[in-house]
Amino acid sequence: MKKLLLLFLTVPLILVADSSLAQERFRREAPPPDPLPQLNLPQVLRNTLVNGLELMAVRIENAPIMELRMIIGDGESSSPEDLPGLATFTANMLDKGAGTFTSSQIEEQIESIGGSFSAEVFADYSLFSFSFLEEHLDEALDLMSKMILQPIISKLEIDSVKRSMYYDHIQRYSFPEALGKKLLYQILFQNHPFQKITFNEEVIKNFNREALLDFFDTFYRPNNARILLFGNVNLDTASRKISHYFKDWQNKDIEKTFIPPPVPNDKLKICFIDLPQAKNATLFLGNTIPFDDQNDLFSFLVFNQVLGGTTNSRLLMNLRESNKRNVFWAFSEVEFFRNFGVLFVRSMIQPDAIYQSVSDILEEIRKAKQAPLPISDIEQAKSYLINHFPLTIRSVDKIASKVSEKEVYNRGDEFWNEYYESVSLVNAADVFKSLANTSILQPIVIIVGNEETLIDQLSEFDEVEFYDKNGIFQFSLIERRE
Amino acid sequence: MGEDTDLKPMEISEKSKIPFVLIIMLFFFPFSFSAQEQDFSFPLSTHELKNGLTVILSEDHSLPLVSVVVAYNVGSVHDSPGKTGLAYLLENMMFQGSRNVGQMQHISYLDRIGGEFNAETRAGMTLFYQTIPSNQLALVLWLESDRMNSLSITETNVQEVKDSLIEEIQLLHEEDPYRESSLYFDQLLYANSAYSHPAVGASISDIRNITVRDVMQFYSAYYTPDNAVISIAGNIDINKTVQLIRRYFDSIPAGKDRPSLNLETPPRTEISEEIQKDTLASYPGFYLGYRLESPFTDDFYSLSLIEYALFRGKSSRLYNRLLNERERIAFQLQGGIEKKKDFAVLKIFVLANEEVMQERCRRAVFSEINRLRSNPISEKELNRVKNLFKADYLRRFETVLGKAIFLAENYLERNSVNEIFDRLNKYLQIPSARITGIMNRYFSEGSILLNINLK
Repeated sequence: MKKLLLLFLTVPLILVADSSLAQERFRREAPPPDPLPQLNLPQVLRNTLVNGLELMAVRIENAPIMELRMIIGDGESSSPEDLPGLATFTANMLDKGAGTFTSSQIEEQIESIGGSFSAEVFADYSLFSFSFLEEHLDEALDLMSKMILQPIISKLEIDSVKRSMYYDHIQRYSFPEALGKKLLYQILFQNHPFQKITFNEEVIKNFNREALLDFFDTFYRPNNARILLFGNVNLDTASRKISHYFKDWQNKDIEKTFIPPPVPNDKLKICFIDLPQAKNATLFLGNTIPFDDQNDLFSFLVFNQVLGGTTNSRLLMNLRESNKRNVFWAFSEVEFFRNFGVLFVRSMIQPDAIYQSVSDILEEIRKAKQAPLPISDIEQAKSYLINHFPLTIRSVDKIASKVSEKEVYNRGDEFWNEYYESVSLVNAADVFKSLANTSILQPIVIIVGNEETLIDQLSEFDEVEFYDKNGIFQFSLIERRE
Repeated sequence: MGEDTDLKPMEISEKSKIPFVLIIMLFFFPFSFSAQEQDFSFPLSTHELKNGLTVILSEDHSLPLVSVVVAYNVGSVHDSPGKTGLAYLLENMMFQGSRNVGQMQHISYLDRIGGEFNAETRAGMTLFYQTIPSNQLALVLWLESDRMNSLSITETNVQEVKDSLIEEIQLLHEEDPYRESSLYFDQLLYANSAYSHPAVGASISDIRNITVRDVMQFYSAYYTPDNAVISIAGNIDINKTVQLIRRYFDSIPAGKDRPSLNLETPPRTEISEEIQKDTLASYPGFYLGYRLESPFTDDFYSLSLIEYALFRGKSSRLYNRLLNERERIAFQLQGGIEKKKDFAVLKIFVLANEEVMQERCRRAVFSEINRLRSNPISEKELNRVKNLFKADYLRRFETVLGKAIFLAENYLERNSVNEIFDRLNKYLQIPSARITGIMNRYFSEGSILLNINLK
């Protein structure tokens, strides 16, 4: 009897203990994912008006905020040689007076429809972004059309915009990251029209009404423009309304010259900008990369992810290993233009780790050029790019940015619709082949920091070129020694 | 294209049209003056586990994404005096590992699957959120449940986190020359250290005072299922999600012995003015503040619109008066309503180029506040303010993360998600007369002014 009682009491205890163990067991490991869900991307529908204006509508249901993008097919590379920055100045003047509205009245109009408006100029295009409550589409188009068709360029506003641009420029380039990237692009784009995007604030004083009007008259034409609408709108409605407001926009022939890619840098070059207030050193390291077709583009995307796409990528993991706590962060980025890209590394490092960090970064790139990357690294990078892609289009605004960039560079709808497939098809051999055609091991290196704390580290390099904050060459460290 | 010559202000031409338009509108649309109620809702359902955990779910199949927010009803107001920064320290500790997840592995897991994450400690709540591909929901629930259930709290990792917080405080002081004055102003305005100290901690010595035992007690008291809400928005199946949540969270026991929080809200004040000479400041300026009511009264609908009228956009009153590009008298303007649990204030911070302009800026700010008190806001301006507010409000729902955070916040603030979709209509229906009334109620009595002069 006692034995039976013991058994009776023991079995439930074992069962209870076992069920709690079972709970613990399932907690011990990360659960596996479900199958990858389908991604249904909104379609880009197109039309072209009689005057050559291209328009695109991307229908997104239940979107109370609408996004409008206007793209003008010319940017800083089309500014005059003696007035780099003119394209930016022209774009900044667009909402400073139109029709019967003053600049403040335009601001008021924009805000009255729950909106915001901004202009951004790139090397090869100008982009205007306008978001507003969807029920005010007509007012938004009316205002946009007035800015294009009836701009008012007053001396008062010219002076005001020049002043703002000047002080904003100084403020922006007081930060080491902005300064470092600017010098990198300035040197990479030497003797190339794209260098004009690295204009200095001093040229702003020379902007004038005549030059602006000339730029506007030449390039702000419907046959050089696209309007994209994102939100609760279909192509028919978009075509009808845009046609109504922009039908009087006159087209004009525009001479377009082919801009070849810049010649990649062919020898390691170390450059330094003294920024006395910088406690740590900011580093940029990069070069231009050619690509023949979109397959190359996806190979570089995958390589960039392996190298320094996230905190788990090779750069930060390996730099931290060899430099302990001397590396605050390190990432790589790739920026694509029409027919080339720029691949660069950016990092913030303690001053006494600069030399070692540059060596380590070059070593990571060297490994990738000497032999194909491990399949596990490639697959992890691809998995990240595919999984992360929906986050890059999580709002109407982000969809608008992605589609606009695709349209500017004529990437084709398959770039949008077949993104997953294109990434999936990349393999280690593709990445290796794409990298083989680059000069990424002969990069420009930009170091921004306090010369006093960095001088010992700088002396470790064979040669260092010193530049001022405007990117003007000052002297070479070898010369100093001599 | 032409130069501006005799431009007529919009208001004049508009006014002449108004009577005609009015007649037409009254004829065809007799009820058009009251704002029509609009439907801003999205699907949601609420569930509760036996251990008190509240779960709010919202389906959104537009993208294969899901956002998971775990929000705990604890924040910086729960810090003990002399040990401020404890709530923020716990937020950081939550990434140091738990029984089944290694140190910083939470971040690595999310990184690897292409997710994004963040956390924040506010006055009254601490939120942990992540957006991930929707097929990885189980992973995030596993991670969140593990750290709710069995956070690793050791001497070593507590010390590591304390060291990084001390570095953070030092960096904040180095980078912001106005930090000292800002903290002092908060002390004057809130008059209660539970509200006034920053989440990161009032001082380095406070951080040093925090012990491992403090951390353990804080965690045990507040990081429990009955003191939390999980909100999930995105590409989910409601039934499957509830099952997953039960799997991971059901067995976590409810908390006990939670200290009660009795916070005295400071009364309205007489006008007070102080001057501080700041050695680090490059520009003179001032802080101006008003104590408001609890953010959960009906007055707050009007107060939010007042905030927009004063600060939001280049057409806002203070921006126009101080930062207008044509006649700029201020160097910097910041301001708005700050809510800390059950208390709210309105703060204004202005920097001027020089001391002469400092006085002009002060007069301009008081003048605009008085103008809003004594002259009803025009329908045109009110309409602009409401549309800006509506656009900002609706933008929150554009992403699944925005929805999930909105739901968690609303639940913890009001203990319910009922009526959340009616609230936007309440803002949009505020008439001009009410704005004037609220301005006189809150901005007639005392204010707190702290002038920052250069040494």
